[in-house]
This record gives sequence, C-alpha cells and structure tokens, in this order.
Amino acid sequence: MNNLNYLAFENYLANEMSNDEKIVFENKLKDNDDFNNEFQSYKETTVFLQNKFAQETADFKQNLKSISKSNFSENKGTKSKVISINSKYFAVAASLLMFLGVFYIYQNQTPNYTDFNQHENASFTERGTLIASLKAAQDAFNDKKYQEALPLFENVLKVYNKPEIQYFYAICLIETENYTKAESVLLTLKEGKSIYTNRATWYLALMQLKLKNNEGCKKFLKQIPADAEDYAKAQELLELL
Amino acid sequence: MSEMKSHADQLYIDGLLQNKSDVIDMIYKKFAPKVIYYIKTNSGGVDQAQDIIQDVLITIYNQAKTKGLQLTCPFDAYFFLLCKRHWLNELKKKSNKGVTLLDDEVYNDVSVQQHVFTTEIFEEKQSLYDEMFQKLGEKCQEVLKLSFITKTMEEVAEKLSVTYGYVRKKKSLCTGELTKLIQQSPRFANAKFDNN
Repeated sequence: MNNLNYLAFENYLANEMSNDEKIVFENKLKDNDDFNNEFQSYKETTVFLQNKFAQETADFKQNLKSISKSNFSENKGTKSKVISINSKYFAVAASLLMFLGVFYIYQNQTPNYTDFNQHENASFTERGTLIASLKAAQDAFNDKKYQEALPLFENVLKVYNKPEIQYFYAICLIETENYTKAESVLLTLKEGKSIYTNRATWYLALMQLKLKNNEGCKKFLKQIPADAEDYAKAQELLELL
Repeated sequence: MSEMKSHADQLYIDGLLQNKSDVIDMIYKKFAPKVIYYIKTNSGGVDQAQDIIQDVLITIYNQAKTKGLQLTCPFDAYFFLLCKRHWLNELKKKSNKGVTLLDDEVYNDVSVQQHVFTTEIFEEKQSLYDEMFQKLGEKCQEVLKLSFITKTMEEVAEKLSVTYGYVRKKKSLCTGELTKLIQQSPRFANAKFDNN
C-alpha cells in the first residue's frame, strides 16, 4: 500500500473530492481489485475507530454497567429475596417486628426523612480510566461527608456529566439542604431515559418528606411504578402518610 | 436472493443498539439467570458470570453498530451459546489444559451456530484492532483519538497546533498504518476473517 492511496481514501470518505476526482476514484475501485481491497480494509479500520471513540459507545457501556450492577446486586445477596429460615420462627419474629414497628410509628406519629435516608453506596470504579476527583467524591459520599462531596461531584460533572453521577450528586444536595438545585437535577433525571428515572422520583418524594410537605411527597410516591426497585418502600411510606 | 427475514427477537439487538435501558434490563432479567446457573455449576461464580455477560453484550452491541447484525434465530439460544463458549474459553486459558469446546448440547438450529460463529470472528477482529492500536506510536494514537472525538478536523488541528492539511494527512497515514498492522499480524492470518 502506498501513502498517497491513504490520503485519497481519506478524502473520498470525508467527501472532500471534486466530482471529477470522485469519478476517477470510483472507476479505479471498479477496475482495480487490489486498490478496491485496500480501500475496503481502510474503510473497515475507519469504522472500527469511529465506534471505538464514539460518545454513544461510551454511554452504552456506562449504562450497561449500571444495569448490570443493579441486577447483580440482587444476585449477590445484598438484597436477597429468599430467606431460608425455619418458617415458624420466622413468623414469630416477623410479627414481633411488625408489632415493634407499629408501636414505633404510633410513638412517632409521622414518618421522618431520617427513617428512609439509607442511601446506597456509590461505586464508580471500573476497569477503564477513572476521573481523578471521582474516587474522592465516591469516598466522601460513602463516608456521609456530603458537604465535602459536593464540590468534588461538581468537578466531575464538568467533564463527565452522566446520570449515575447526577444521581449521587442530587442526594448530596438534599443532605446539604440545597433543595432547589436538588429538585432541578432530580427532575431532569426523572424525565430522562437512564435507569435512574424511578430512583429520582423516589428521592423527589423523600425531599418533600424532609421539607414536611406530605402532600408533595405523596404526589411523587404515587408516580413510582410497581416494577420499580423502590415500590415497596414507596407503598410503605404512602400508608404511613 | 432475497434477504432473510429478521427474527422477532431482533428487538433485543435494536434495544442494545439504541441503548434502551428497559430492553437491556429485560435481557438481564430474562436471559442472565440461565448463564449464571451454567457458570456457577461449571467452576465459576456470580462475579465471573457478571463479567462474561457484560463482555458478550458489548460485543453484540459493537457488531450491531459496525456490521448491522440481523438476528434470524432466537436471542436466548444465541446469547447463551456465546456466554457459554466465552466461559469455556476462560477456563481453558486459566487451566491451560485445553478444555474441549465441543458442545454437549446439540444446537439443531444452524442459524444459531452461524450467528455465534460470525460474532466470535467479529470479536476476534475487534480485539486484534484494539491490540494493534496500542502498537501505534503515541502521536498516531493521539491524532486518531482526537479526530474521532472532535467535531471537525479544523478543531483537531487547532488543538494540536498544526495545520489542517497536516492533520488530515497524518490521520490518513495513521489509519493506513493501523490497517497494515492488522494485515501483517499472524493472528489475522490464522483467523478466517470475513471481508465485509
């Protein structure tokens, strides 16, 4: 292969040839098998590079990773659904817990934000490159140092504005009482097409609960569909309200 | 000859391609358990199953994106066989004993085998591209990366403080060099790559 050919291939693919040049080039493709093969290989390399560096590909991988993580957290037992325990004892324990729960609720009268603000841990570390401040933001968040995490998340969002980051950023905003900002981030997530739409609704509800706006809280809770991760909690909170 | 009609399960391929969260989630809910069970009962664990499934889905996405994958068989069988063979290859690499890749299940559906075969060849080629890209000089890697993540070549030239003409020429030379590296690789000679 010669270097002049490469530049011609590039010009043709980038549509930077005059009509006359194009005709000559296309005729050569037809008449010269070697030239045509070279061109096809060059084109294939270009397609590979395009896909490798496309933002769409990065978005897909990121989305896939979060969906995988949320599905596998169920499989790894962090949220195990099957509890093998002698059913008789289980029933006794369950009713005891329920009794204590009801007792506690009556004592408290109304549910509080702090009854529900057990946030999941952030874990952004992945095989690929990691943005420097992301690790720091993640650590601060998991240590519940929300004030400290805020500027770190803001830095990350400047270069890596993804739903997963926005979600944890929004939780920090609620915890640090930046409600207006939190609401706008969560509403964007809620209307988006990431896997965080329902989680965003849940946090919008929790934020209203924190603001003692029970009606506002109920409004969001009712929007959480039955197949959402937070559906059970939402129903529980709705009943308490 | 008329084109073969797509299987109804093409919806999963299209969903991956369009990065639709609900479809991807459905794939995990419907098809992952079988893969997890298989890996767990064949010297593996849940973590490995998670990695295998993720890798296979990325390969399917890449193939659909760059080659236009049209499924003519059920997604379930295609996906499971890909994951299974991936896992057996992992075991083979680890043990060095040479696990036979013969299938204990008979896939009567030739179409499934054909799809799996095509995807595996595609994957081999992708990994070859990735490997050879790393062999390019630093400057070439930078120019190529910038050319594809930046909107216009004028902007690339500006970022690199060179002329537009230079950057376009450099891009073509680097793409050509990568193409040459692929073709000269012994791995390329060994694998039966398709040419479309």
